[in-house]
Amino acid sequence: MKAEAWVFGFLAVFFLVVAPSYWFLSSDPTGTAALVMSFFLAVLVAFYLGFHAKKMDPRPEDRKEAEIVDGAGELGFFPPYSWWPLWCACALTLCVLGVVFGWWLALVGVGAGSVALIGWVFEYYRGEHAH
Amino acid sequence: MVSVGTIVWLASELMFFAALFAAYFTIRGVATGLWEQETAKLNIPFAFANTTVLVLSSVTCQLGVFAAERGQVGRSGSVLNVAGWGLREWFVLTYAMGAFFIGGQVFEYAALIGENVTLQSSSYGSMFYLTTGFHGLHVTGGLIAFLFVLGRTFMARTFTHEQAVTAIVVSYYWHFVDVVWIALFATIYLLK
Repeated sequence: MKAEAWVFGFLAVFFLVVAPSYWFLSSDPTGTAALVMSFFLAVLVAFYLGFHAKKMDPRPEDRKEAEIVDGAGELGFFPPYSWWPLWCACALTLCVLGVVFGWWLALVGVGAGSVALIGWVFEYYRGEHAH
Repeated sequence: MVSVGTIVWLASELMFFAALFAAYFTIRGVATGLWEQETAKLNIPFAFANTTVLVLSSVTCQLGVFAAERGQVGRSGSVLNVAGWGLREWFVLTYAMGAFFIGGQVFEYAALIGENVTLQSSSYGSMFYLTTGFHGLHVTGGLIAFLFVLGRTFMARTFTHEQAVTAIVVSYYWHFVDVVWIALFATIYLLK
């Protein structure tokens, strides 16, 4: 993971040079704010990747002598299917339409959204999945 | 996987706030007189106290994560024995501190509206409420996320790895929102 951390580290250095240069050459607050925040974006990702690179063992993609099969196995838990994201999206649509048609519709969206979000978060904590 | 996704999403959230910062500095650049007049109405000691609570809530949140990484979901002794606190106790305290921050923000808004600083009053009002308001919404979202983490610990009989991961990614989000607030506080209250 060190390679990825370095990519974002270089990006951070790039923005660290570009942001002040841009400010001194243009005195434009809009672009400077965007460049400064881009610097922080690169720092955030570089810090996260660097932090995890230290804690974990080298992955197959970090080792020169690794084989394709070394990467086999479980990556994480992925729900086979779930309808809750759809209901969450529908509820959010109602909230956004509420801005257009009237706040009462947004309130309906918040109500529907609470049910959908609770359903999504606790999908594998209840019913036959309770553990 | 979940934590990588969270970081990617937080990176996009960062650029969302970048747009707000850019808008703030742009309008401030063209309306300096308005800024001098309106920033005088800010109650800086109050906002500073509120900020301190939010920053400390990041510390309590991290202590909750350390408890989750030890696999300790509940307290080992009495509630008063802070050293024995588990994930739940620390997250409840973090929740209370986050809620205190939002409550403080409501007081602040009420005082400013009393001094005729509203979303429509001027470009300063628009920028003040858009930046702090969107941040406040993010804090509220974080508070809801804390409730979900706590809910998951009570819904399952055992404390699973997945629950620990949930607690960790919510803490990432909370630290992010906290750091954004420090930048916003410096921009709005200190830099003026």
